[in-house]
Amino acid sequence: MIDKIKRPFGYEPLLRKEDLGRRKKKEDQRANDFWGTLVRLWQFMRGERRLLYFIIFVVMITSLLTIVGPFMIGYTVDNYLVVQQFDGLITLLMFIFFIYVLSAGTQYLASFLMVGLAQRTIYNLRVRLFSHMQQLSVRFFDKRQHGELMSRMTNDIETLSQTMNSSFIQFTTSIVTLIATVSVMLYLSPLLTLLTMTIVPLLVFGVAFVTRRTGPLYKQRQRRTGELNGYIEEVISGQEIVKVFSQEERTINDFEERAANLRHVTFWALLYAGFIPKIMNMLNNISFAIVAGAGGLMALYTDGLITIGTIVIFAEFARQFTRPLADLSNQFNQVLSAIAGAERVFTIIDTEPETDDGTIEDQAVEGKIDFKNVYFSYDKEQFEHTIRDLSFSIDAGESVALIGSTGAGKTTVMQLLARFYEVDGGEILIDGTNLTDYKRHTIRSQTAFVLQDPYLFEATIRENIRYGKLDATDEDVIEAAKLANAHDFIMQLEDGYDTVLELDEGFISQGQKQLISIARALVTDPAILLLDEATSSIDTVTELKIQEALEHLMKGRTSIIIAHRLNTIKAVDRIFVLEQGQMLESGSEEELMRRKGRYYEMINAK
Amino acid sequence: MAIALLCMLTELTVELLQPFFISKVIDDGIVAGELDVVWIYLGVMLGLSLVSFAAGIINSYFASFVATSFSYDLRTAIFKRVQNFTLTTLSKFPTSSLITRLTQDVLQTEMLLYMSLRIVLRAPLLVIGSLVMSFVVNPTLGLYLSILTPFLLIFLYIVAKKGAAIFLRVQKRLDKLNRFIQQNLEAVRLIKANDRASYENNKFFSVARNLKSDTVAGLRLMESILPVLLVIMNTSLLLVIWASSDLLATGGVQIGEVVAVINYGLRMQGGFSMFAFIIIAYSRSKASSERMNAVLESPIVENNHEVINKEAKAGSVRFENVSFKYPGSTRYVLKDISFEVAENEKLVIMGGTGSGKSTLISLIPRMYDVMEGRVLVNDKDVQDWNEEDLRQTIGYVPQSAILFSGSIYENLLWGDDEALHSDIVSSTEKAQIHDNIKDFDHEYKTIVGQRGVTLSGGQKQRLSIARALVRRPSILILDDSTSALDIKTESALWSALDGEEATRIVITQKIVTAKTADRVILLDDGRISAIGSHESLIEESELYRRINASQNEGGHLDD
Repeated sequence: MIDKIKRPFGYEPLLRKEDLGRRKKKEDQRANDFWGTLVRLWQFMRGERRLLYFIIFVVMITSLLTIVGPFMIGYTVDNYLVVQQFDGLITLLMFIFFIYVLSAGTQYLASFLMVGLAQRTIYNLRVRLFSHMQQLSVRFFDKRQHGELMSRMTNDIETLSQTMNSSFIQFTTSIVTLIATVSVMLYLSPLLTLLTMTIVPLLVFGVAFVTRRTGPLYKQRQRRTGELNGYIEEVISGQEIVKVFSQEERTINDFEERAANLRHVTFWALLYAGFIPKIMNMLNNISFAIVAGAGGLMALYTDGLITIGTIVIFAEFARQFTRPLADLSNQFNQVLSAIAGAERVFTIIDTEPETDDGTIEDQAVEGKIDFKNVYFSYDKEQFEHTIRDLSFSIDAGESVALIGSTGAGKTTVMQLLARFYEVDGGEILIDGTNLTDYKRHTIRSQTAFVLQDPYLFEATIRENIRYGKLDATDEDVIEAAKLANAHDFIMQLEDGYDTVLELDEGFISQGQKQLISIARALVTDPAILLLDEATSSIDTVTELKIQEALEHLMKGRTSIIIAHRLNTIKAVDRIFVLEQGQMLESGSEEELMRRKGRYYEMINAK
Repeated sequence: MAIALLCMLTELTVELLQPFFISKVIDDGIVAGELDVVWIYLGVMLGLSLVSFAAGIINSYFASFVATSFSYDLRTAIFKRVQNFTLTTLSKFPTSSLITRLTQDVLQTEMLLYMSLRIVLRAPLLVIGSLVMSFVVNPTLGLYLSILTPFLLIFLYIVAKKGAAIFLRVQKRLDKLNRFIQQNLEAVRLIKANDRASYENNKFFSVARNLKSDTVAGLRLMESILPVLLVIMNTSLLLVIWASSDLLATGGVQIGEVVAVINYGLRMQGGFSMFAFIIIAYSRSKASSERMNAVLESPIVENNHEVINKEAKAGSVRFENVSFKYPGSTRYVLKDISFEVAENEKLVIMGGTGSGKSTLISLIPRMYDVMEGRVLVNDKDVQDWNEEDLRQTIGYVPQSAILFSGSIYENLLWGDDEALHSDIVSSTEKAQIHDNIKDFDHEYKTIVGQRGVTLSGGQKQRLSIARALVRRPSILILDDSTSALDIKTESALWSALDGEEATRIVITQKIVTAKTADRVILLDDGRISAIGSHESLIEESELYRRINASQNEGGHLDD
C-alpha cells in the first residue's frame, strides 16, 4: 500500500531528499533563481510601468466596486424587502445596476489594457531574444539542436504570455480583496479573526511543501519539452533517411521513450501543483468549521459578545478571506512554470554575443589577406587542431585555389575568413590589419561567400537571389541568373522568378539550388570572393558555362576557391595544397608541376 | 477516470453540506442552548473537511494520471502517424508546424482534460443545481432569475465560436513564426556571410507583430466574457428583487425564499465565471484539436502487403514507361523512362542539372509513387512489395548527407540496429572513413551535432555511405555522394564498392566513374537521351560527347 502511494501507477518518484533541501548554494542556484528572474522581467517592462500602475489603480476600483455590489443587495433586502417598504426601491435598484455596469466597465478596461501590455512585453521579449540570437556565434548553434532552441522561442515564451495575461490582474484583485476582508473581520471581532487566522501557518506550510517540489519539477518539464522538440525537429527534417532505412520503428521507440519521460515528470508536476487548491479547500472548510463551532461556543459562554448575526456574516467573510488566497495559490503553478520558461529565455539572452569590438567601420578594403601562424579547432575536447600553424599571404586581387584531401581544412580556412569562428592562435590580417579590429559587418559586407551546402529560403526565387544585395533591381537579378546559367530553368517554372520555393524540395534539384546560390553571389560586388565547392552538384557541361562567369567575377577581386575542376584550378594565380591543416606546398600551376611534389602526384594519379 | 469524477463529486457535496450544517449549529445549538450539539457539528464539519481533502488528493492523483496518459497517447499517436506519412503528405506540413502540434497543441488538450477532471464539470452542475433549486423554492422568482440566462448562453456561444476562429488564426501565426525561426537557424552561416542580421530582424519583427495583434484580439474578446456575464447575472438578481417587492406585498412569497433565491443566484454567478475560463480553454483546444486531427486524418502509407521474407534479397531493377511529376506541380520531371539493371550490375546515371536524376532513383525505394508506368524490383512492382522488405534490401546514400545528433556509432546503426561491431568496422573501412574515426579522440563515440555540423563535407559523405553499407544492401544507390572526396579517397572507395556483391545505381557527374559502369543512362530534361556503355555512348550521343569533352579538355583534379 505504502509502495503504491510512493509509486502511483508505477511512476518512480523523481525528487530525492537532497533536491528538497534548502536552496543549495551551488552553481545551479542561479538556474533556480525565481526572484531574480522576476526582477529581470520587471526591469524588462521598464517602459510600461506607468501603465502598469494605472492598471493596478483600475483593478483596485473594480475590486472595491465588486465588494460594494453584494453589500448594497444585502442592504436592500434588510431595509426594503424585510420591512416591506418599497418607496424609492426602483431608484436604488437603478443605482445598483449602475454600479454593476461601472464595475464591469472598469474590469474590462483593466483586462483590455493588461492584454495589450502583456503582449507588447512578450513581443519585446521575442524580438530581443531573436535579435540576440542573430549576434551569437556559429559555434553556439553548432552545439544545439534547432528544435530545442525553437522551444525556447515559442513554448517558453508562450507559457509566459498566458501567465502574464491573467495572473497579474488576478494577483492584484486578490490582494485588494484580502486586505478589505481582513479589515472588516477585525472590525467585527478580533478574537474570531485571530481564530480564523490559525489556518495561515498551515497554509504557509502546505504551500511551501508543494512549491519546493513543483519548482524543480516544472523546470524539468520545460527542459524535457525542449528535448522532445529537438528530437521531433531532427527526425522530421531527416524523414527521407528515416523512410529509406525503414527506421520508423526505431524513431517511434525513441520518441515514446522521450514522451514517457515527459509524461513522468508532468505527472509529478501536475500532481503536486494540484495539491494547492485541495489544501486551500480543506483550510476553507476548516475555517468554516472554526467560525461556526468556536463562534457558537463563544456565543453560548460569553453571552452576548458574539451574536448569531456576526457568525453568519463571519462565515461568509471567512470564505471571502480564503478565496483570494486560493486564487493566489492557484496562480502559483502557472507563475512557476512561466518563470521557469522565462529563465530559459534569459539564459540565451545572457549568452555572450560574438565579440565585435573592432573599431574599423564602413571602410572599403582592398582585399589583401594574411594568415600568420593560425591554429584552430572546432572542439578541443573531441578533435585535434583542424588548422595548425598555417601561414600564407594573398595579394589584393589575386586568386587562389585551395586543394587537398577531405578534412585538410579547406572549408575551415574560408569559415575563419568569414569570421564564423575565432582563431585559437595566430592572427588573420586583412589589408595588414587584424581581422578582429574590423567591425564584423565591415568585412562581411564586402565578402561574397558561396557555401558548400546551398541554402535557399522559403521565398520567391527573385527574393532568394536578391538576398545577396537587397537593393538589386529586377534586371540585376535576371542578369545574375543568366550569368549563373539559372535563367533558362527558372523561366521553365510556371511562375518564373516569382516561383515560391517551398520546403518541398522536389521542384528544384540540388544542382539548381547551387546555380541560384551562385547567382546570389553574382549580384553582389564584393572585394573578397569565397567559393566553397560552389559547383559540386552541377553537371560538367553547365559548369563549363558558369566557369566563364566565375572567372569574370574573380577578375580584380581577391578570390579563394575550393574546386576539383582542373580548368578552374588552372585559371587561378596560385594554388595552395593543404594537408592536415598545414600548407604542404604553394605556387602557380606551372611551378607546382615543375616541383613534382604533391600536386604533380595528384595530377598524374589520373 | 471514474474515480477522479467520484472524488470531485465528494468534494462538491461536502462543500454544499457546509451551509446546511451551519444552519444546524445556529438553530439546534446556539438558539436551543445545546452545547453538545455545537461540539458534535464542529467535529462532523472538521471530519468532513478531512474526507473532502482526502478525496481531493486522490482526485489529484487520478486527474494527473489520466491527463498525462492521455497526452502521451495522443502525442505518440500523432508521431506514429507522421512516421507513416508518405513524403508527399509530409511535404504538406512544415516541420515547425508539426512540432507545434506535437507539443503545444497536445499540451493545450492536456490542460483542458486536467481541468475538466478537477473543476470544469463542477461549473455546469453548480449552475443547473442552483437553477433547479430556485424553481423549487419559488417558481415565479426562479423564472425571473432565469429570464436572462438564454441571452447569456447565446452570448457565450457566439464568443466561443468566434474565439475558436481567432485562436486558430493565432496558431497559424505561431506556426509561421516557428517556421521563420527554423529557417533562420538553418541558414545561420548564410545570414552571417551576407551580413543580414538586421534584415532578418526586421522580417521577424513583422511576423511577431502579426502574431501579437491577433493574440491581443483573441484575448480581448475572451476578457469581455466575465464583465458581460456579471452584468447580466446581477441584473437578474435586481429583477428578482424588483419582482419580489410586488409579491411580498400580496403575500405570494416569503422573505426567506427571496434570500434563498438571491443566494442561488450568487452561486450561479460563481458557476458561470468558471465558464469564462472554460471557454478560453475550449476555444484554444478546439483550434488545437482541429490541427491535430488534420495530422491524424492525413493519408499514410498503405502497407497491407505481408512481410513475405525478411531475407528476400532483391537485385534487379526495371523501369517500364515511367512518368512522374511532383504532387502539386504540373510539370513532368520524368517522361516515359524505361530501362533495366540486372543483378550485381553497375548503372551510372548522368545528365544535366535538373534533368531528373535524383527523382528517378527516389522511385526505387518508393519514396514517391509513379504517375504512369511501373517500377519493378526483382520483377515485382514496388507497389506490391512490403515496404520494409523493399527498403531492407536497399542502401541509399542521399545527395546531401543527413546525420543525426548522437555518436558516430549510433548514426551507423541506423543502417541496421542489429549490426555487430565487426560489421560496422568493415563498412567504415570500405567507405574509407575508419581511419579518420580512429583519429578522433573519442573514436566511434565521437558526438556529431545535428546534421553532422562538426564534420567536414567529405567525412559526412563517407559516413553516410558507410551507414548504407551496414545494411549489406543488394541494391546500393548513390546520389552523387562522392563530390566532396579527393581523388585518392574516391578511387579507393570505388574499388571497395565495386567489390561488393550488389547492384549499384550511381548518379555522378564524372566520366571516369561512368567508364567503370556496365551501362550508362544519360538523362536530358526528364527523358532518356541515350543508354549504353561508355564506348557506345561516345559514338552515339552528341550530349555525352560534350560532357566527355568538358572533362577532357580541363578534367577534374579527381578524374
